[in-house]
Amino acid sequence: MNLLELKEVSKIYGTLKALNNIDLSVPKGEWLAIMGPSGSGKTTMMNIVGCMDKPSNGSVILDGVDISKENPRSLTAIRRDKIGLIFQQFHLINYLTALENVMVAQYYHSLPDEKEAMQALERVGLAGRAKHLPSQLSGGEQQRVCIARALINYPMLILADEPTGNLDEANENIVLDIFRQLHREGSTIVVVTHDPEVAEEAERIVVLEHGKIARIEDNHRGEQEEG
Amino acid sequence: MFFRMMNGALLRQKGKMLMIAFTIALGASLATAMLNVMLDVGDKINQELKTYGANINVVPKEASLLDDLYGVDERSGVSNKYLQESELGRIKTIFWAFNIVDFAPFLDTKVTLNGAVENVELAGTWFSHHLDLPTGESLDTGMINMKNWWDVSGDWITDAEEDSAMVGSLLAGRHQIAPGDVISVAGKNGQKTLTVKGVFNTGSDEDELIYVPLKVAQDLADRAGLVSRVEVSALTTPDNELSRRAAQNPKSLSIKEWETWYCTAYVSAISYQIQEVITDSVAKPIRQVAESEGAILEKTQLLMVLITILSLIGAALGISNLVTASVMERSREIGLLKAVGANDFPISMLVLTEILLMGLLGGVIGYFAGLGFAQIIGHSVFGSAIDIKPMVIPLVAVLVFLVTLAGSIPSIRFLLSLRPAEVLHGR
Amino acid sequence: MYLRMITASLVRRRSRMLVALLAVAVGATILSGLVTIYHDIPHQMGQEFRSYGANLILVPSGEETSLSGTDVKEAVSYFPSDSVVGVAPYRYQAVKINEQPFMAAGTDLAEVRKTSPYWFVNGQWPEEPGSILVGTAVADLIRLVPGSQLTITGNDANGKVFSRDFTLSGIVQTGGKEEEFIFMSMADLEDAMGDLDVIDVVECSISASGTQLNSYVQQIEASVPAVTPRLVKRVTESEGTVLTKLQALVYLVTVVVLLLTMICVATTMMAVVTERRKEIGLKKALGASNESVTKDFLGEGLILGAFGGLLGVGLGFIFAQTVSLNVFTRPISFRLSMIPVTILISILITGLACLLPVRSAVDVDPAIVLRGE
Repeated sequence: MNLLELKEVSKIYGTLKALNNIDLSVPKGEWLAIMGPSGSGKTTMMNIVGCMDKPSNGSVILDGVDISKENPRSLTAIRRDKIGLIFQQFHLINYLTALENVMVAQYYHSLPDEKEAMQALERVGLAGRAKHLPSQLSGGEQQRVCIARALINYPMLILADEPTGNLDEANENIVLDIFRQLHREGSTIVVVTHDPEVAEEAERIVVLEHGKIARIEDNHRGEQEEG
Repeated sequence: MFFRMMNGALLRQKGKMLMIAFTIALGASLATAMLNVMLDVGDKINQELKTYGANINVVPKEASLLDDLYGVDERSGVSNKYLQESELGRIKTIFWAFNIVDFAPFLDTKVTLNGAVENVELAGTWFSHHLDLPTGESLDTGMINMKNWWDVSGDWITDAEEDSAMVGSLLAGRHQIAPGDVISVAGKNGQKTLTVKGVFNTGSDEDELIYVPLKVAQDLADRAGLVSRVEVSALTTPDNELSRRAAQNPKSLSIKEWETWYCTAYVSAISYQIQEVITDSVAKPIRQVAESEGAILEKTQLLMVLITILSLIGAALGISNLVTASVMERSREIGLLKAVGANDFPISMLVLTEILLMGLLGGVIGYFAGLGFAQIIGHSVFGSAIDIKPMVIPLVAVLVFLVTLAGSIPSIRFLLSLRPAEVLHGR
Repeated sequence: MYLRMITASLVRRRSRMLVALLAVAVGATILSGLVTIYHDIPHQMGQEFRSYGANLILVPSGEETSLSGTDVKEAVSYFPSDSVVGVAPYRYQAVKINEQPFMAAGTDLAEVRKTSPYWFVNGQWPEEPGSILVGTAVADLIRLVPGSQLTITGNDANGKVFSRDFTLSGIVQTGGKEEEFIFMSMADLEDAMGDLDVIDVVECSISASGTQLNSYVQQIEASVPAVTPRLVKRVTESEGTVLTKLQALVYLVTVVVLLLTMICVATTMMAVVTERRKEIGLKKALGASNESVTKDFLGEGLILGAFGGLLGVGLGFIFAQTVSLNVFTRPISFRLSMIPVTILISILITGLACLLPVRSAVDVDPAIVLRGE
């Protein structure tokens, strides 16, 4: 069954069609990569899927709910309950420690649980840096905190925007390892990237160009179809 | 490029910059209003204190002050114990003429009331007298203005009503006189029938007196054109060491000190100048009024100075705080500028110029708004406009300049200490 | 977690929060300082106005010619003791010096210094029995200087002639009637006259408003029939006028200053909060509802307001105290009610100032905030 389904989705800013009639479905447990040059509509798509923006036309169905019809208040609730966001810029709150940054997500979701937050940090290998402030962490460590925060509420969908864009190779590998692990455990992952190496890890790669799906590459079945 | 960048910052960050300008305007208006009010409060309170009445008493030289206690003057009526009514206009021609608010002459005499044996005091005065000065000016002066604390039942009389009188409450009580009654008084020079227009209560010795227009008293006492004393109400500067020494003996001052003293509105200097123009007169400050006025004036001014200082500090901290906050906010932008190779100096100049431009805008707006506030205070408290002092402009300008500068410096230092990499990597 | 987050924000963003705290504290200082001064002005200025001298006199009622000490004491007991500046009884008596007639006044000279602070005494105030003050008119007439010896003669209460020697300790200048009198202690005069407890008039200097004075007058009239209290209109009426103006002045100044200061505080708080739009966007992206984001910022604002207010209460009192000591040379009374009022208003202003920018930020799409940097 499909966790996420986009039907004839368009997003228009003034005269610019950032997304033009997109149809896409993502089955549960899939690892999907979205690629494309700058301005191809990657970020717009990510925002729409992440419930941070609404399409101008079409419908987006996440876990059976058409999120394009929801009001901002329930969008917030859906984002909170079903989606884990990972950012290129990490976006940690700079006056909170690593542990507290993870706990913030728990706090807005339900109840903060320090033990569980600590386990999440252990999973990304940061148990020893839990009490550090973001400014005391390296870029890779910050991104791992960001991932731990995204995972803490067991989201149905993990949405990552250029998760390795600010990282060196060693850290990139650590982050990709975590993603592989998540994938094995059955998480649905959507990664927006323009790094082919990162995209290669995914099961399917959607290539966007000028707001349209140019092609979809299926890594494991080796098939190609026109979008 | 510098200007382009600044234009960008000013125009595209309109909201933020306007908020800075707005806060500076608030601070500047506060400073303007407070400074203007503070500088003018002395004059205003001085005017208010005139309700206490005369602060200078002018009497003939060598007049025995014991007269009224024993009634010994009636036989020794030599003319040099009186002042000339015709000379009174000269009081408005002295150096500090402008500070003379009001004056009223009095001629005291004793009369018998309704044929009783006992003497009562009768005083002739100007109630509201129109006077044409030799200088061509004219003024209205007299007792109505100077005794506005009187509690009068009935009406004040005018100088023209030569068959009317006002009677003190104690005297009226003793003789059962009410407004509207007719009394007859007899002086040395005949008898007169007067209608009582008003009974006044002052809580002082005056409650035993009958007041009539000056002309009536002069007729009754046979002292045409003469007055026995003049009360003067003048705006004065609080006494200091110099004026106290001068009051003791003006001749003890050096020429320079004497000039300072003579050209300052000390009560002693004004008294001295009155003595110069009225023949054979002694002008004495009424210490009860003069001293207290000085004390209250001084306190009020000091109070206003301190409140002004507090609000200036408040305004200064408010402005520099906001400037600090809004400059710090731009750490990312500054980091970027540094990353593309900007030196510290042009960055500081950019930020400073922006802020100072906003300071100028806010300062100008604030100055005029402050004038408005000052006038609101002036009109609602004193019922008159506050004098606008030009010296406030440079004061406020310097204040705003220094304060915005002081507010920017710590934040600029903070910005310069930033390392571009850290800022851009979102720490 | 809520508290943990707020305290972390306050403690770890020290420099920004100090800026905000300073702003709030300055506002609160001005608020509490000015309001304290405003409340104390009538009292303090009223004290200053007492330099105009007596504002209430007690005279014998009806046909009586003099007051007795007990009546006076009873009448004076109707004034609250802390508002009595001075009560000076006077007894007048015709006497002669060198066969020239003068008027002598027996009084309590220590009280006269309080009721008539405007007297200028050339020389010393008398301290021992047998030393007296004379008015300048008297001194000029018989050429006296401080230190002169003089003999006062007169008829005592029983009609017998008395003659006593006195030392002149000072010469009084007032510009008024006092310059024609001789002032001695009540004991000296009573000793010379040979009778006690005769008072012609009592001058009272009371620090109170016109209405209060009127109520004292009514109380005394009703309960002490031997005494007639009278207000000195010139002093009471004028004091009322001037004091009302002064208070109106301080009131308006307070309002203007407070208004501007509060707006200043609010803009600073707004700048501090606006800076954190990104954080608001992030929290929303993490699934925080508008209410919880608002709650976070409000919490910080409230704590800032409370601490700033507390600081302001202290500093404001120090300021008011400084003003009072400098201007009136008297300490100011601390008003306990200022503590909650100042803190409450600080919290209100800070909360409001936080709320405005937060509300505008939470309505923005989190995506735009996150991207816009």
